[in-house]
Amino acid sequence: MAGAAMGDDGENPVNINITPLVDIIFCLCVFFMVSFKFKQLEGKFDSWLPKGKGSVGSVQIEGILDEVRVAMYWDEVNQRTIRQLGTRRIQSDEELAELIREGHDAWVKMNKPDTPVTIDAEARVPWNDVIAVMNLCKKNRIDKIEFALGAPPPTGQ
Amino acid sequence: MSKRKAQQVKEDLIVNLVPMVDIMFLLLLFFMLGADMSQREQAELVLPTASEIKENEKVKSDEPTTTVNIQHSESAGGKCPINASGGYCREEGHWAVVIRGREIPRETLREQIKNEADASLEPDVDPLAGVRLSARKLIIRADKAAPYGDVNKIIEYAGTAGIYKIEVGAAVPPKS
Repeated sequence: MAGAAMGDDGENPVNINITPLVDIIFCLCVFFMVSFKFKQLEGKFDSWLPKGKGSVGSVQIEGILDEVRVAMYWDEVNQRTIRQLGTRRIQSDEELAELIREGHDAWVKMNKPDTPVTIDAEARVPWNDVIAVMNLCKKNRIDKIEFALGAPPPTGQ
Repeated sequence: MSKRKAQQVKEDLIVNLVPMVDIMFLLLLFFMLGADMSQREQAELVLPTASEIKENEKVKSDEPTTTVNIQHSESAGGKCPINASGGYCREEGHWAVVIRGREIPRETLREQIKNEADASLEPDVDPLAGVRLSARKLIIRADKAAPYGDVNKIIEYAGTAGIYKIEVGAAVPPKS
């Protein structure tokens, strides 16, 4: 490679050597190409905390809770999350979605449409599985989702 | 005649670099504009996917926001064979909470979130809470394998600090 490349020397007496320029641009191009990364498309779930309850800490609840409670606990041996609604263990997402919908509809019929779905997950449960339950609730048009800490021990089938 | 012929041959051998330089300039411009050299508030982690999430809207520039990332940390946990093999690492201390690229020790996490909240208090006392709440929005971005307990702790700390605007990040599932 040489400078010129721009016609006859006779016509253009000023000969600019563009080789270093090409080299540097090439290096810069390689640098940016290697460091370039397409961003994963992200989104968010809004989850406002109730105002005025934040500083109270754990709340003592008496009587029957108006909620659909999904319990989740971590099976260390099989490395998977076990989900339970009431005393029933859930095998698939479809089954859970169906049960959440039925549970929520029952509260709606009792004139309590604001009844939340409470996710009661053990601390070791992977975040992925909690998001999956939130996603199922959103699919069922349930916007009121609450979190609780500490799942109860599994009971029966 | 022969001199002319020699000149003709010489001219044919000249490589015109101008189009190449033009294209390289364009490529350079594209990669330079596409590269994100800003301080990374969003750590690189594998977010859980959810089909029902709202895609990111443009954040209002005047809205105070703090992004809390929960990620598996090599510095905290060293080489973790469970995480490396794609399993669910449940080792305490292997998960780090990162705010603006800085790992926050567990002991000071509550204090850090409190400071974030206090930095942008709402002007008026909230009638429900009876205190001035924080106008800050907290975005929680947790790795899909992160233990739920860590996320729950952050929500709890945010609640006690007066932050009520919370968002949890997830990724849009790839279109099949």
